[in-house]
Amino acid sequence: MDMLYISDLYKRFSDKKVLNGLNLSVPEHSIFGFIGKNGAGKTTTMKMVLGLLKADAGEIIVNGEKVVYGQTTTNRYIGYLPDVPEFYPFMTAAEYLHFCGEITGMKRTENEERCKDLLELVGLGNETCHIKGFSRGMKQRLGIAQALLNRPKLLICDEPTSALDPVGRKEILDILLAIREQTTVLFSTHILSDVERICTDVAFLNNGVVGVQGKLSDIKTRYRSEEYQLETGNDTDMLILQQTFPNMQQIGRNQLVFCEGDYTAFDILRFIADRHIALLKLERAEPTLESLFMEVVEK
Amino acid sequence: MKSLLAFIKKETMEQFRSGRLMILGILFVLLGVMNPAVAKITPWLLEILADSLAESGMTVTPVTVSAMDSWVQFFKNMPLGLIVFVLLQSSIFTKEYQSGTLVLSLTKGLERFKVVVSKTVVLTVLWTVGYWLCFGITYGYNAYFWDNSVAQNLILSVVCWWLFGVCVISLMILFSTIANSNTGVLVGTGSVVLASYLLGLLPKISKYLPTLLANGNPLIYGVAEAKTYIVAILITVVASLICFAVSIPIFNKKQL
Repeated sequence: MDMLYISDLYKRFSDKKVLNGLNLSVPEHSIFGFIGKNGAGKTTTMKMVLGLLKADAGEIIVNGEKVVYGQTTTNRYIGYLPDVPEFYPFMTAAEYLHFCGEITGMKRTENEERCKDLLELVGLGNETCHIKGFSRGMKQRLGIAQALLNRPKLLICDEPTSALDPVGRKEILDILLAIREQTTVLFSTHILSDVERICTDVAFLNNGVVGVQGKLSDIKTRYRSEEYQLETGNDTDMLILQQTFPNMQQIGRNQLVFCEGDYTAFDILRFIADRHIALLKLERAEPTLESLFMEVVEK
Repeated sequence: MKSLLAFIKKETMEQFRSGRLMILGILFVLLGVMNPAVAKITPWLLEILADSLAESGMTVTPVTVSAMDSWVQFFKNMPLGLIVFVLLQSSIFTKEYQSGTLVLSLTKGLERFKVVVSKTVVLTVLWTVGYWLCFGITYGYNAYFWDNSVAQNLILSVVCWWLFGVCVISLMILFSTIANSNTGVLVGTGSVVLASYLLGLLPKISKYLPTLLANGNPLIYGVAEAKTYIVAILITVVASLICFAVSIPIFNKKQL
């Protein structure tokens, strides 16, 4: 079942079209990477899912229920972490989580237990100072804790790692990986290495529509390039290869690249074996998300 | 209900920890003490000034002060109390819009009207407690030094002023749901009060306006009859309720 389903979503801000008939479906228990350039409409889409922005047209369904702007009953299924989460600075982390629990109507004992567990999970268990003294990473971690408080079926994170240092980023990604069993995670980002580390599914957003969408492994297979990279031990070997196979291109010192369409790998290997060419490396180029991203964006 | 109480608790904690509660406490206690104090030291001040005034040709006859002078001071000082109150609290909504702190509470399923109700309750309670604290202090000193019975319609006149304050607060809440910055809130609230004051200069409509309630002196001197205030009281109550009722749908549609 799809935890989140969006069909034909349109949104414009005065004369700027942001979303142009966006379609998206997020399967249950996936970690869904929502990828797009800055200003592509990621945050706008997320705010509409949360009922904070009014859609011009289209339908959003969360866990089988339609989202209505302003009156957001579907938010009881959702945990939300904004890109820069803001909390009441005069409270401590524990007080803030308690407050959130009370707002959602949790029972007192359950609330206390849940707050304690979550503060442990995000590593703020022993923090007693007021939130105004928190670093960005600490705020982001508290943000995840508050988003997970009412055991949401869908956790929406808006660029959770963009503003963090490598350590902070790793902590956030580890937390997201750890909670995958309990919930579905939709997170927007433009940091592709984060996506490759933890996502099971991805969607590329470009010009207000989703360009490519699906399981990360499927997409990688589908877009698998037919390029091979080859590295020889010395210059003469490289020249021999280049003369025999004129469509090979040099991309670096002793490095060549060729397409499967021009020559098959077996022919090349046979030639190398016959001529006793010192081969350092022959590999099929893995498609990177970056190349995929560029392909989608340029399409 | 639980979420409403939680939000009220949060508002109270904010008032306390931001120091606003303390400032308001000091303000209203100070005003309460000042009213009788100013009345008490007036004769003494005049005595000191008598010599210099005599030189410029003015003679000072001994003055006797009563509780009446203290109550006149009360009505003279109250606007200051209300202005400080409004200045301190004008950002109660807008600060949350600007920092985005409401977004997290609302995305947790907190109904929007509860935000408006909580803030209204907290502001009204603060104003009520502060105002009546100030009144109580002045009343106590007046009873000790003089006799409060010289002031006529005393309770009615102070209730009227309190009601005027409630009306201004409801305006402030209405403009808080419309405007995005606290400048907008102050300008909106200020201009409505000013308009009401200016219209009040026209004798024909003055008795229908909330600003009439802020003029307690005719009541305590017995110049004005209590019943002439009834219409203004009713209009003020209705206006406050309308402001409050309208701010809820406006806030429901507000983009955060």
